[in-house]
Amino acid sequence: MRHGFAFAVFVPALALSGCAGISPVLAPRLDDDARHTPIELDATPCHPQTVHQCGPAALATALQASGADVTPGDLVARVYLPDRQGSLQTELVAATRGYGRLPYLIAPDLSTLLAELQAGHPVLVLQNLGFSFYPLWHYAVVIGYLPDDDAVILRSGVTCRLVMPAGRFLRTWRLAGYWGLVVLRPGELPARPVSASYLRTAADLEAVGQTQAAELAYGAAVTRWPTDATAWLGLGNTQYQSGRLPAAEDSYRQAVRADPGYLAAWNNLAEVLAERGCFNTAITTLDKALARPGSIDALRELLRQTRSEILSRRPSDHSADAPACEQTN
Amino acid sequence: MHSTTIRKAGLYILIFNFLVATFPQQALAGIIATPAAIAAQENHDSLSNLKELLAREDVRGQLMQLGVDPAVAEQRVNSLTPAEIARLQPQLDSLPAGGDALLAVIGLVFVVLIILELVGVTNIFTKL
Repeated sequence: MRHGFAFAVFVPALALSGCAGISPVLAPRLDDDARHTPIELDATPCHPQTVHQCGPAALATALQASGADVTPGDLVARVYLPDRQGSLQTELVAATRGYGRLPYLIAPDLSTLLAELQAGHPVLVLQNLGFSFYPLWHYAVVIGYLPDDDAVILRSGVTCRLVMPAGRFLRTWRLAGYWGLVVLRPGELPARPVSASYLRTAADLEAVGQTQAAELAYGAAVTRWPTDATAWLGLGNTQYQSGRLPAAEDSYRQAVRADPGYLAAWNNLAEVLAERGCFNTAITTLDKALARPGSIDALRELLRQTRSEILSRRPSDHSADAPACEQTN
Repeated sequence: MHSTTIRKAGLYILIFNFLVATFPQQALAGIIATPAAIAAQENHDSLSNLKELLAREDVRGQLMQLGVDPAVAEQRVNSLTPAEIARLQPQLDSLPAGGDALLAVIGLVFVVLIILELVGVTNIFTKL
């Protein structure tokens, strides 16, 4: 009875005085079966940062966790800005690509971050440890969470295992725009992949010449989203760049099957057809694509250019395509 | 005067590098690369080649001004996609640069302590 009274008085008093607040942060964002299971990716390496260099340290941690052979020292020259005494998010992303890894930016919410941890992916986050009007930017790597303590576990600065109340973490993360990066091996998907973001990230790998990594990423994308025309186009383009034209042709055909209005894929299909001597089939393919209503003007212009280029390459004595050109059309 | 000459020389070298670097792309004439296809699909205007070249040169200069070694700055700029260059160029100076917030926090606490001391709320330092 007496204990009951003390409990009734003290517990609310404690709850009110605590900074963490009354309602838990993690529990509502976890599935019922995950609500009491702590996660800690303790195999994630630890690199206590040297002065100012939490960017290189955090990135080395995330890259090594994905199997890349790199040290924080290697990354200083790639991502550190001496006069700003820090590192830019974009440069962390670019350096990740440089190691043949896919820098996937997760959806800006805590439940997605928790899902990545469940899938075994440490999440590199930007935090603002100050205020919105006086920001103190800091990179750390979230490696786990403790649902019963309502806390997250970080590799942060000089601390290898920083346990931070989830409410406080969420505030620092919110003030940094919920920026979170997972470093994936090429071909690996994030826990909650969004096709448009994933494909844009893969296309960025393609853009900087990481063709092999991009091809593996597109390969994973067509498995996950078999009817996504952009994924097939990307796969075809990387196959084309590594000289495998028959494979590229198949991928472009898959792309136009998935989206018959996809002019870029029709264009590239026509190009590989022309390259194997099927000039007339290539021209017909482009004409059919150009006759489709409602497509993007910039792309139509590119198709017309491809058409005139193919026409100029067609030998003057070329009257008919070989029978092999017809078989797949 | 001298620095403009250097800048100009730098620009010519960059243009030359750009032409050399994009030479293999000539073999891809006719193929629409995935980033371009995505940009067209999302209705983005991608920078023209020349604008992109100038933006890259500008970002390289900004990196060097922030203390990056010239040789490394070139490499860092080359690792960025055209979209990233376009995003960085106008605001590189004001974007968040994650660094050692811990030291800054200690510094902030120290400043607050000094203010409290000066105002007379505390007398930590006078006791020392």
